[in-house]
This record gives sequence, structure tokens and C-alpha cells, in this order.
Amino acid sequence: MDSQLFLDTLLQRSPPHILEHARLVLVPLGLAVLVAFPIGVILTRPQYRRYAGRVMAVLNAGQTVPPLAVIAVFLPFLGLGFRPAVIALTIYALLPIARNTIAGISSVSEDVKEAARGMGMTPWEVFTQVELLLGLPVIMVGIKTSAVLTVGTAVLAALVGGRGMGAVIFAGINFFRPELILAGTLIIGLMAILLERLLTLAEWFILPRHLR
Amino acid sequence: MSVLLFMINYFHRILEYTVNHFTLVLTVMILSMVLWFSVGVLISRYEMLAGAVLGLGNILFCIPSISLFGLFMTIPQLGLGRRSAVLALVLYAMMPLVRNVYRGIKSVDPRVVEAGQGMGLSSWQLLWQIQVPMAWPVIFAGIRITVVMITGIATVATFIGERNLGRLIHHGITRSNSDMILAGALIVSVVALCLDMLMGLLEKKLVSPGLRYQQRE
Amino acid sequence: MIELQEVTKTFPGSGTPAVKGVSLQVKSGEICALVGPSGCGKTTILRMINRLVEPSSGSLFIDDQDIMKVNPDHLRRGIGYVIQQIGLLPHRTVEENVALVPRLLKWPEGRIKERVEELLEKVGLDTDEVRKKYPYQLSGGQMQRIGVARALAVDPPVMLMDEPFGAVDPIVRLRLQDEFLKLQQSFKKTICFVTHDMNEAMKMGDKIAIMNGGFLVQHGTPREILAQPANSFVEDLVGEDRGVKLLDLVRVEALMLPREAGTANGRSVQALDSAKKALEVMLEHNVDGVTVCREKQVVGILTWETIKTYVHQAGSEAGG
Repeated sequence: MDSQLFLDTLLQRSPPHILEHARLVLVPLGLAVLVAFPIGVILTRPQYRRYAGRVMAVLNAGQTVPPLAVIAVFLPFLGLGFRPAVIALTIYALLPIARNTIAGISSVSEDVKEAARGMGMTPWEVFTQVELLLGLPVIMVGIKTSAVLTVGTAVLAALVGGRGMGAVIFAGINFFRPELILAGTLIIGLMAILLERLLTLAEWFILPRHLR
Repeated sequence: MSVLLFMINYFHRILEYTVNHFTLVLTVMILSMVLWFSVGVLISRYEMLAGAVLGLGNILFCIPSISLFGLFMTIPQLGLGRRSAVLALVLYAMMPLVRNVYRGIKSVDPRVVEAGQGMGLSSWQLLWQIQVPMAWPVIFAGIRITVVMITGIATVATFIGERNLGRLIHHGITRSNSDMILAGALIVSVVALCLDMLMGLLEKKLVSPGLRYQQRE
Repeated sequence: MIELQEVTKTFPGSGTPAVKGVSLQVKSGEICALVGPSGCGKTTILRMINRLVEPSSGSLFIDDQDIMKVNPDHLRRGIGYVIQQIGLLPHRTVEENVALVPRLLKWPEGRIKERVEELLEKVGLDTDEVRKKYPYQLSGGQMQRIGVARALAVDPPVMLMDEPFGAVDPIVRLRLQDEFLKLQQSFKKTICFVTHDMNEAMKMGDKIAIMNGGFLVQHGTPREILAQPANSFVEDLVGEDRGVKLLDLVRVEALMLPREAGTANGRSVQALDSAKKALEVMLEHNVDGVTVCREKQVVGILTWETIKTYVHQAGSEAGG
């Protein structure tokens, strides 16, 4: 184990890749929330609820496709680079968010919603102030799961020219240098923890005081 | 269509990869089930170990699979190939398996356990006649998640020399051959579904019909 | 015989003991109903008898054997234990549930099979209909019956019952109580029976042990308890209508004035009916007395006045 190489990787070689990696995580995660959250909300509306099972079955089946394959599948159509990686990672992040959005909103009991309607809330108010707020903790768990998953999976983006921390780790594998792998992994782990904490913090700010 | 053609042309190669993939996942699953089942049971009885063990599983789970493979590969005793792959995948399987065994056993209604105790079952008998049989549904949920996951991650082991379906995807990327990539992805999914079904059969054999009703509730 | 000597139990982390210095004897063949509000320590006492809870001090004996000297698993296999329906193992069939303890004791399979059939029949179930069913497929009443059958499996001399009929509706409960009392007449088990329902305690118990705040407040026959409640707590527990309840425990023949044989005139009751029944007849038909018959023969009369005196006397005994 060459500690000099380890430190060099950690402090000099990795930093540019950290930003790339952050972009590889945040862009897909943001897109996944933008897509999966509305899907989840629509599938909990009474008139569309019956489709929830089928949509979830498709998403679940999608999850059996290995991450490596998801990353690779878009390569022939979109070529090398950032875009195929982002699309693949977005698709990979959809399931936990959609699943937990549905679970979170469905977990709000009919009695509570009924009471809210009884107090004269409009359907929109019931949705935003009751269903979403009470379902938020479960929805956030889904987003956090996707976030941690994406931080790890984004390593594979390096294979299709998406760069990121994967570049460091694959270099370690190709040159048989555990120092590179270890340093890269350490950074990725810290990124995952940091992202998870930030999302927890965000949740804390969104929730009204009495629900914290 | 061209995917199909590709599969026919490279039938022997693909068969070899599929068999390798299958045996790797099966080896990992058998080892993991024995090992992590025991650990799960252990921490359900020695509660003070539970936090540390589950925490360790979570940390292992957060390490990107490629890093774990890469690190083991550089350890001389493990090296390139199956030993590193098996070890890394077994460690990956720790979190979902140990967690579900532990949760399953903990979720058994304490009043039922106590009824058994009141009948005079020893603590070993309580475990095997009440706690484990009643935890099977939760344990199997964990096993089935794990088998699908491990089948997927096993593709990444191609980078440390495993000749499995991941190689189709890997080489498909380097050669920009979409048929190869698609074939790899497709077959991996089929293998995952087959293994999931296999576990489903085992589940059907082990879970008492008296509990299947509760699951639906 | 079950005997408790100065038994105290303090749960760890709790300042006050759950059971305080309780001494109690349950004679062989007797049902002792432990009754009291929740948290009074009655269930703790029951659970100390099969060592699901270990006493902090004091000793417990079953047939003069100190239970602390017996391996707890072996002890429990020799004690029938009936709890609310949740106690059935949901992943085992009815047959397997009843066979649980015989299997632990390694009975031969043939004998177990016979025993299961015999027991299911005894508790009033159709063996072929229920044996292969799982608990979720049964009604509440059936589950309770199987709970009783399971506890009886190895014919233990001692049984512990914790609200065994608690989870069924009142009508089924009355029927289960009657059936169980009938079984008990032939089995003569020594039974500790925990309930929070005073009426159930009166009906099931040969003796009643009333608990409050960990103390044994009163121990006696239902009649003694009704006639002479030890304190206001017992009085409240027994209820305002303890006079009427007392009459429920007395047979007409014990109170009636004998009368020469003759034919019945007016309203009549049977000699073996309860005095409460006689009172009901009087109230219903607005009469001051009823004729008492044995079969068709008149053997005496029972008047309003006699009943009043009896209740009054019983009440004043308590004061004195």
C-alpha cells in the first residue's frame, strides 16, 4: 500500500472528478423526482388508482435489469458521454421514488382526509396540507434511497464516457492499484453520507414545526 | 431481431456465460443464506450486537460494487476471479438478508412466543418451532430481493475476470455493439427472474399456509 | 394443590411491587378465580406459577414440590396453559396445535393421534371438520375450545387460564363457561383462572381471590365474598346488586319453609332453582310467595319476606 499515492489520489487526482460525479448524481436525481413524484401522485388519485399495480409491476421488472446494463443500453442510441449516463441513472432512480410516493400518500388514513374535508378544505388543500405533508417522511425515504443508490451506480457512468469518480476507480482496477480504489471509494462514501444528510435537513425545513 | 441472431451466432459463448453467472449467483446465495441467516438469528437473541451488525451491513451496502470487487482483487489471497467475486457479493447480500431475518424474528407476536414458552418449549424449540417458521414470509421477502440484486451486481464482476453475462455488456460497450449489450441485459433479467421463481418455490414449501392468509391481510 | 407463600414480585425498573406478599392456596380439584382491575397483579401471579415470571421473594409449591427446583420447561409441560385465542400457533394446524405438548414429551404418533381426536370431541368440535384447519379459518369460539383442548392434551393435574374466554362475544362466552364447568366436573383439575369480570369469577370459581394494587384483598367462596365483602373496594367490585347475586348462588330448597305435600297452587319454582329465579317469578307476577316443587311434588313455599330476611342477614354479617 503506497500511502503517498493514496493521498495524491484523495487530494489531487479526485477533486475535479468529484464535481463531475456530483453532477452525475444531482441531475438524474432531480429528473427522477420530477418524473416519479407526479407519477406517484397521479397513481394515488381515485380515478387512476386502479393502474397503480400495473405501473409498479413494470417499474419492478425494470429493477431486475442490472445497473450495468441500464447504463450500457443507451450507449448505441446516444453515443458516449454525459447524456446516456444521465438518462440511465434517471431511469434507475425512478422506482424507489415512485414506490414511496404512492406508499406515503396512501398511508394517510381516510379518516384524516375525511376530517380535513369536513373542516371545509378544498381538494387541493387536502392534497397539499394533509396528504403530502403526512406522506412526506415516507416520500423522503424513497428519495434518499434513490440518492444513495445513484451515488454508487454513477461510478459505472465512467464506462460510457460520463466521467465522474468512476474514472478514478476504473483506473485503479486497470492498473491494479488499491490506493486509487480505496481513495475513490472513500470519497464516494462521503458523498453518499453528505447527500443523505442534506436531504434530511431539507425535509426538516419543509415539515411544519409540529410534525418534525 | 438482430439480438436474436446474435444470440444464435454466439450460442456457445452465451451459454458458458449464463452457466457461469448462474453458478456464481447460486454459490453466493447458498453461502449468504447460511451465513446471514445465522447472523440474523444471533443478533435477534443478543440484542446488543444488533445495532453494530446492521450498521456494518448498511455501510457495506453503500460501497459501490465495483470498488468492492476492485479492492478484493488486489488482495493476493483473493486475486482476480471467482473468490473475490463471491466474497464481495456475499458481503453485499448481508444487509438485506440479515435485516430481514432480524426483522422477521422480531416481528413475531410476542404473545405467541410466550404461549409457546408457557407450553414448555425450550428456547431452542421456540426458535425453530415458532419464531423462524413465523418469520419465513419476511425472510423470504429479503431472499428474493437479494437474489435479484445479486444477479444484477454479478455482471460487474466481469471487470475482475469473471466470465459471465456482464462480459457481454462490457464488451458490448467497448465495441459499441448494441446487440451484445441488449442480449446481455435480456439474459441477465431472465436469469434473475428464474432465480426469483426458484426462491418462490422454496418459499411455497417452507411458509405455512396458516401464514399466507396473514400476508394478504 | 397450588400454594403461594408470601410471594412478592417487583419488576426491574419499577419502584412498586406488582405483587406484594401474597399467600394463597388452591386445593386439588378446585377452581380459584383471580379477579381484579387491570394491573392488580393477577396475571403476574398466574405467570409465576409456571415460571414465565420469577418471583422476587417467597415460594411457590405445586403438590408440595417447590417449583423453583424444577426445570422451567419441564414444569410448564406439566401445566395446562390457556390464554386468549392469540395463543394458538398461526402456522400450525389445529391438529398440530393440540399435539404440541405430547410431541414435546415424545409420545408415539399413534397415541397422539388418538388423543387429539378424543380431545377435540370432548371440547365439542367435529374432528374431521377442524383438524386440518389453520387458526385463521376458525371462529373465536372454536379457537378458545382448541386452546382448552391443547391445554388438556397431556392431562395435566394443574391448569392456568388467563382470560380464556375473553375474546368472544357474551353469548358464546356463557356457553363456553358452561361447557368448561361440565368438563371440570369429570376432570377435577386444579385451576387458576384469571378474569377481570366479577360475574365470570362468581360463576367459574369455587373460590375467588380478589386482587388490588398487588395485594390479595380477599380470598373466599363466592358466597363469602358476596355476604361479607372485606372492604369497600370489594363491595364496589361486586356491585350494587350483590344481594341479587347472592340469591343466584342459593338454591330455593335452602331457604324454603317446608310444607306438607300437596298440589301446586299459584306460581311455582323447582327446589334446585336459584333463589334469584324465585325472586324473578315473584316480581314478574307480582306475588308475595311461590310454591316450591320437586318434580311435580310440592315440598315447600318461599316467600318475599324470607328472601328479604336472608339478604338482610347476609349483609349485616358483613357489618358484624
